[in-house]
Amino acid sequence: MKKILPVILLTLALTSALAYVDDALSFAQEASLPYVKKEFSVREDAWGGDLAVKEQQAMQAQLFKGNEYWFCLGTDVKGAVLTVNVYDSKGKLVNVETRRTGRLSAVRVVPPKTGSYFAIVTVVKSPQERTGWALVYAYK
Amino acid sequence: MPNILKPVVVAILFAAASGLNAESIPDAVDLSSFPAKAIDDVVVPVPSEVFLVLDKLGNPNWRGEMRESLGRQTGNRAQTALLLGTVIAEGFVAVEAEDPEKVKDIGRRVLSLSKAINVEKAVLERSKSIIDKADLKDWKAVRKEFDGALQDVKGAMIELGDGDLAQLVSVGGWIRGTEVLTSIVRKSYTTDGAELLHQPALVSFFSKKLESMSNRRLADNDLVIRIRKMLTSIRPLIGDEDGAPIPAENVKKIHQLTRDIVVSITSQES
Repeated sequence: MKKILPVILLTLALTSALAYVDDALSFAQEASLPYVKKEFSVREDAWGGDLAVKEQQAMQAQLFKGNEYWFCLGTDVKGAVLTVNVYDSKGKLVNVETRRTGRLSAVRVVPPKTGSYFAIVTVVKSPQERTGWALVYAYK
Repeated sequence: MPNILKPVVVAILFAAASGLNAESIPDAVDLSSFPAKAIDDVVVPVPSEVFLVLDKLGNPNWRGEMRESLGRQTGNRAQTALLLGTVIAEGFVAVEAEDPEKVKDIGRRVLSLSKAINVEKAVLERSKSIIDKADLKDWKAVRKEFDGALQDVKGAMIELGDGDLAQLVSVGGWIRGTEVLTSIVRKSYTTDGAELLHQPALVSFFSKKLESMSNRRLADNDLVIRIRKMLTSIRPLIGDEDGAPIPAENVKKIHQLTRDIVVSITSQES
């Protein structure tokens, strides 16, 4: 049993970690629903993890001028405030619209140029030490 | 105000300001000071993001862009992965050309190539769905299925511990997509059209991935070596981070470079 216990604990820890990323992903997908109704296509892949308060994670993406994007963020932690903001390769903010409701947050980007952009996720506040998050994006 | 209350008021105001500050959005950030570990790899755009912009640029002759042959498959895994990428990209061209027979042919070919590299299961449903939706001429849905097929194939390869092979699928798709894009842009050049090629981070990302392959057999494959050289040649042609206009001459050069590689991938003349 002694040998099995660490395996069980590790499995439980992994399951729980995956579970909160899954939950956060459900919220991110929920955040994208209004845009699906507006003919946006949501990418099937997603990005996520967990962050401490004030910690940030950036996702670098190639965006195309002529398309319009919504970056949709979700968290599994009730009461947490997370933001996503998109910057161009020079670090200039390019969000043109922001929406936030509870655990969902979304920003609209109309790229002024084709090129590399950075979606930066920040945990502004959270009742927990680590906060699970997931990000998806939609385009049309 | 009694003196005793002043520090309390100051503290409350400070706390409120900090709270606001924490939620306010900075107009600019210094990306160079951002810790490298906190920046994920470049997200490779799905092909439909590029094709969507091309749709908006005009009405190209998509049938003229289709390749007659989808290419020969050899037993070489690197070639098969690259070919799979080009075939999926071809699917988007066939969708744009609204050619249901070609789309169905491509759907079946995606399945057979996936089988050759042991990821058939991941793409079986997609392949069926591509064929069904092509019959219905539901082009938007077919596009979505091709995007999904690409993700599923790559996901299955990564799950099998074959991340290097997954990158080759992406690279193959990007090369064929870029060949088509440059073909269209050079035929009626506009700076807006050429700007779609401004992908320096993506080219650097692919170069980095191909240079750091852990699988030596894949890394030393002739096609992979040629693609690494091609990416090095393309890098100065697609402009810097500032996004200076890409001249017609560069579009032509990129087209030639990508076309040569597509010919090599599809005919396995490396």
